[in-house]
Amino acid sequence: YPLHPKDSIFGIAPEDEKYYKTSSDLVSCKDGSKKFTKAQLNDDFCDCPDGTDEPGGISYVQPMKLEVHDISLIALEIGLICDIVPEVVIANCCDGSDEYDGKVKCPNTCWEAGKVARDKLKKKITTYQEGIALRRQEIEQAKLSLAKDEAELSKLKNEEKILKGLVQQLRERKEEIEKAEEKERLLKERKEKERKEAEEKANEENNKAEQETNQEIGKAEEKTYSDEKATESLHDDEIGVLEDLPPDQDVADENDESAAEAEHGDSSGNERSLVNGVEENAAEAKEESSVLPDSGSKGNDISENTEGLSKEELGRLVASRWTGDNTAKQTEEVDDAKDRDHAEHEEMPGGTHDEEYDGYASETDNENERYDHDNDDVEDEIDDDFREDDHDDSSSSYISDSENELDLSDITTASNPSWLEKIQKTVQNILRAVNLFQTPVNQSESAHVRKEYDESSEKLSKIQSRISSLSQKLKYDFGPEKEFYSFYGRCFESKQNKYVYKVCPFKHASQEEGHSTTRLGRWDKFEDSYKVMIFSNGDKCWNGPDRSMKVKLRCGLKNEVADIDEPSRCEYVALLSTPALCREEKLKELEQKVESMNKEQPQSRDEL
Amino acid sequence: WKKDEFRNCNQTPFCKRARARKPGSCSLIARDVTISDGDLVAKLLPKNPANEEDRDEIKPLILSLSVYQDGILRLKIDEDPSLGPPKKRFEVPDVIVPEFSSKKLWLHRLSTETINGDAVPSSVVYLSNGYEAVLRHDPFEVYVREKGSGHRVISLNSHGLFDFEQLKSKGEGEDWEERFRGHTDRRPYGPQSISFDVSFYSADFVYGIPEHATSLSLKPTRGPGVEDSEPYRLFNLDVFEYIHDSPFGLYGSIPFMISHGKSLGTTGFFWLNAAEMQIDVMGAGWDAESGISLPSEKSRIDTFWMSEAGIVDAFFFVGPGPKDVVRQYTSVTGLPPMPQLFATAYHQCRWNYRDEEDVDHVDSKFDEHDIPYDVLWLDIEHTDGKRYFTWDKMLFPHPEEMQRKLAAKGRHMVTIVDPHIKRDESYHVHKEATQKGYYVKDANGNDFDGWCWPGSSSYPDILNPEIRSWWADRFSFENYVGTTPSLYIWNDMNEPSVFNGPELTMPRDSLHYGGVENRELHNAYGYYFHMATADGLVKRGEGKDRPFVLSRAFFAGSQRYGAVWTGDNSAEWDHLRVSVPMILTLGLTGMSFSGADVGGFFGNPEPELLVRWYQLGAFYPFFRGHAHQDTKRREPWLFGERNTELIRDAIHIRYMLLPYFYTLFREASTSGVPVVRPLWMEFPYEEATFSNDEAFMVGNSILVQGIYTEKAKHASVYLPGRQSWYDLRTGTSYKGGMTHKLRISEDSVPAFQRSGTIIPRKDRFRRSSTQMVNDPYTLVIALNSSRAAEGELYVDDGKSFDFEHGTYIHRRFVFSDGKLTSVNMAPTSPGKSRFSLEAVVERIILLGHPHGHKSALIEPTNHKVDVELGPLGLQWGGSSAVVTIRKPGVQIADDWTIKIL
Repeated sequence: YPLHPKDSIFGIAPEDEKYYKTSSDLVSCKDGSKKFTKAQLNDDFCDCPDGTDEPGGISYVQPMKLEVHDISLIALEIGLICDIVPEVVIANCCDGSDEYDGKVKCPNTCWEAGKVARDKLKKKITTYQEGIALRRQEIEQAKLSLAKDEAELSKLKNEEKILKGLVQQLRERKEEIEKAEEKERLLKERKEKERKEAEEKANEENNKAEQETNQEIGKAEEKTYSDEKATESLHDDEIGVLEDLPPDQDVADENDESAAEAEHGDSSGNERSLVNGVEENAAEAKEESSVLPDSGSKGNDISENTEGLSKEELGRLVASRWTGDNTAKQTEEVDDAKDRDHAEHEEMPGGTHDEEYDGYASETDNENERYDHDNDDVEDEIDDDFREDDHDDSSSSYISDSENELDLSDITTASNPSWLEKIQKTVQNILRAVNLFQTPVNQSESAHVRKEYDESSEKLSKIQSRISSLSQKLKYDFGPEKEFYSFYGRCFESKQNKYVYKVCPFKHASQEEGHSTTRLGRWDKFEDSYKVMIFSNGDKCWNGPDRSMKVKLRCGLKNEVADIDEPSRCEYVALLSTPALCREEKLKELEQKVESMNKEQPQSRDEL
Repeated sequence: WKKDEFRNCNQTPFCKRARARKPGSCSLIARDVTISDGDLVAKLLPKNPANEEDRDEIKPLILSLSVYQDGILRLKIDEDPSLGPPKKRFEVPDVIVPEFSSKKLWLHRLSTETINGDAVPSSVVYLSNGYEAVLRHDPFEVYVREKGSGHRVISLNSHGLFDFEQLKSKGEGEDWEERFRGHTDRRPYGPQSISFDVSFYSADFVYGIPEHATSLSLKPTRGPGVEDSEPYRLFNLDVFEYIHDSPFGLYGSIPFMISHGKSLGTTGFFWLNAAEMQIDVMGAGWDAESGISLPSEKSRIDTFWMSEAGIVDAFFFVGPGPKDVVRQYTSVTGLPPMPQLFATAYHQCRWNYRDEEDVDHVDSKFDEHDIPYDVLWLDIEHTDGKRYFTWDKMLFPHPEEMQRKLAAKGRHMVTIVDPHIKRDESYHVHKEATQKGYYVKDANGNDFDGWCWPGSSSYPDILNPEIRSWWADRFSFENYVGTTPSLYIWNDMNEPSVFNGPELTMPRDSLHYGGVENRELHNAYGYYFHMATADGLVKRGEGKDRPFVLSRAFFAGSQRYGAVWTGDNSAEWDHLRVSVPMILTLGLTGMSFSGADVGGFFGNPEPELLVRWYQLGAFYPFFRGHAHQDTKRREPWLFGERNTELIRDAIHIRYMLLPYFYTLFREASTSGVPVVRPLWMEFPYEEATFSNDEAFMVGNSILVQGIYTEKAKHASVYLPGRQSWYDLRTGTSYKGGMTHKLRISEDSVPAFQRSGTIIPRKDRFRRSSTQMVNDPYTLVIALNSSRAAEGELYVDDGKSFDFEHGTYIHRRFVFSDGKLTSVNMAPTSPGKSRFSLEAVVERIILLGHPHGHKSALIEPTNHKVDVELGPLGLQWGGSSAVVTIRKPGVQIADDWTIKIL
């Protein structure tokens, strides 16, 4: 059963020859644990725990640690070390075919495998060479964009400051005008009232006795009172109910009363159903406990009442304990609602369910909304016209929502240097013009002030939101050389079966199926020295962790997402090829590797 | 755990009624006692019927006592078929092995004897050397006594709790229906339960009656000082997130109890009955007010057995040693067969390995991390919509190629096949089963329709032999498309699990073959699936390949068909702890090949818990890592370098010890003695071991102590016996007969080799066990105080049935007087092919041997080899140097002697 020729030198690396060819008969184990005789060299018995004495490997060798790209290296190392665990030694046959079939003869595929590995390596090197050039461009571009963004930001901040002042002035002016207007109105009202009172007084004196008059006034007052109250109770059920309860309230006239009653009826109806609900629950509980006299169940234990469910619902419900399947979701929810009824008696059964249901049904919409919102970011809201365009953009496979462009068009571009001055001028004019107060206030002038105020403050808020989004953006870590700067605002898509996966660096990652979107995670950070992007805190997984996604970056000539996978439930991984990862150090490493391979290959070949 | 979904005793009328009865309430006496057909037969009827009406109402029961070789007494009590009962009560077929009937001793003679001043004499028959069986006539009682001393060993109805509800015709207005949580059980035959008390004498503890997640020694459930407790329930159920330390019934049922005491030894009682059973263990003094006083009052343990239906078919085993009782029990219900060698190695499972790429990936990661494994498992998601015997074509487009790739590395695959069949007209299995009328029927006679993984499902009526044969044929390569010879089967959910059924199982009034109600058969339903599936694999392999089938549900006799595991446990320390008593209990009751999901099925184990679980699980007879779908991935290499190393090391230990394990499986298959054993099975006279369920023996040579707490720094380990023990990894010796407080490292759980034993190992690591066939052996000899030791090695091809014809190697190694001898134990009759194995012994390690010897002489070759100091295990850096015979080079299959010079 010895597999290799009885050559005690077998498997010794050239550089180690000296170590073994000592004049003494004893050789030390490399770990220093003991010494062995030369007769024990390659005698198929591990004397040294580290395997120094069995450089050629022992019978039934096992190539456990092989990876294809390592094979050429392994070929060099054949028999060199008792690798891993002492008696487990590298293969005589690279592909381990001696072990697989229990047969000794095996083809030597090391050289072929090595060639494949080398070719692969060379290809990789080419990619890196091209990628590095792309990366440099990218970095240049990033520097420019960054500078541009920073410049814009500082400019906007400046403008903001000025505009803020103007808006403030306009607001003051506007308020003054409004005050004056209010004053005029009050004056008018008082005059009107005085006129009316005078008329009434005349009437009274003419037609009625004093007592009657008093009663009349009393009634009128009451009427106002209960009117107010009715309105109040319309606004707030609870107060309505409470205030309606006192019995000495029958003064109100018919209209009021019926209104109040309707209101009361409503809420007492609610209250009744609430009470019923409680009773039902209690009854249910009682029923159950009579069925299960000894269950001693309290609180939540009892809550999973499954008796009302159809056979199918029950089956789904129980199955969902193990699976958390969506198919079970509905029954699960009904059940949940029931749970809550038992637990929190305040909640109205119907209401709870409806709410729950609504929430469920509209989930998708909300999701989309949130998604759009985030995707387009605040500045897009500034101009609704641009929103649509942006939508189209985001559904294309190579996305750029080019928010910078958009925004510039709105504020910076449309308003060449003079726009601010223009406003300033207008404001000054207004202030001057309205400086002289007129009573009554000139209508057209006040409208002019208002309009100017509205426009300026709108502009201000646009600028402010642009500032906040820009400074938000600039806070991100775009890599040591800002090589990820262009990723901001872009999404990378990959379609796999029925799903479309979207990776939007610095934003989020999602999985879309038809119209429903599942968020796989929000941007968290780079990891592993910018080789991995982490998206975390995605949508919750039933009975599992929150979804998360890990995007591994590797050098490639295009920005492309691929190989999306879910190795562990709700933990996604993807591969993003990008020139940003084509680093020069790595290229050097690869070049060295291929060089050393070429150098050593022929020698090791002889040995085999 | 959803407690409310399951009935407790009070909600179970037969249990409630039985528990309410008072001692002495049985008024039956034995009459017309004779010998007939080699049995003692008698009639049981009330002594003083209250009035004449009752006399008509109550028909006499027929009792028979039979005696079998090796000290087995069988008691049957049933209604008298000649008196026209409404229905024949169910007797569980196919559990007692056919050979058992040939062991019956034909009784010819019956002696009577008046005992302890009874008014009426009792009948006495010979049982075995030293034991007699006694039928006391009035009051009716059956017991076994020692012949000379007259000491009782085990008895039935000594407390007069016997009750047998006879089948009646339904009277006017009688309502027999039972309701539970919206389910109605029609109970067309009315109450038909049976209950009685069984007493074990001179017993310190009772054990057995799995499956419960509870301690090894069974705690009392009734009596003074016992808090309100449920009886131990035997009713096969799919329990979601079961809790540890509960008498609640789980997936399997074996109504076999063992008692053990220091003075008298071990006895056993087995009731062959597949209906729901509830068993109380009575605390001492429970009967203080009954006025009943039994002889040899000292340390008696009373138990109370209740069953919903069936008959009394009970077996008494006299022992007297623990291994005797297990042998006696397995002579009735069968021995566990030799498993496939690969099945004794490490299994990697998860719900679910998603697709072929995932399988490939996991497989290659084991290689990359130098972790051997033998079997990759696929859970339910591999199927086309939970239609078993099919593949999801998207995820597993090339199942055969996938299996062949694994097989090329000597690895195997297991797929799951559950008993619920999706009701889908386009599914061929359903179509055929429907057409042939093969499904279990509901109470109305329609195909029972219940909910399980696939949704609406039906369940084959596996009690019917014809249907079993059909089921077995599903596993042929033609029928189960996409399978290859390296694929084996997993039967889950076979309690059966019915998500929308009462207590998540099949309604009790469902109807099986021959009009048998599920209530009568329930606990054996999964057993028949296990049987039919294993038969199917034997058929598939044309009788040449041993089957491997893992089942969740089990019953007495399941050991004949494969392995079981403890179901859906949780990733908690308490579940790690309870796995040990659960597995030990299974072993005591015949189910030697069992294990718990390493890591815990539900939840995410902390790395430390996972590592400890691997370290302990490596000693389970069945060693499988498994995890729920919602858990994080937990393959051994996912927890950092150090934890990968620790887990690799744990799995390596199992692979090193495979020759030893395989030898133990052989022992189990010939004697019933389980692979892992409670300490008291090896040390029956040491009281300190009787309730120890934190440690266990692997065979007779290795003691393992689990570590069940986080960040444990120390552990107290009791090492029994007068001889010393050697740490398995360091060789450090420890005195026996005392508790050691040991410092614990993260490297391993404490494990020791008992001195006086020899353990065969294989120390070279391969991808899988099948790659290790020709690897050289290491023998580890732990010398006792007289410098002697012995051990065994059994080897066969690990796969076929050839060993049944003597094609195997069985060696006995004896070390004494400085000489190691290898003796053949296999029969060597001429004409039988001998198993040939080209494997040598490369190393012999002597623990407890003085240093200083330089060489050893090998006979008959008469050559000398070196004796030197070497490591106990090459991969354990820290181990001290031990005396090693270097490269003796002897063939493992040969006779030889090695003498230390």
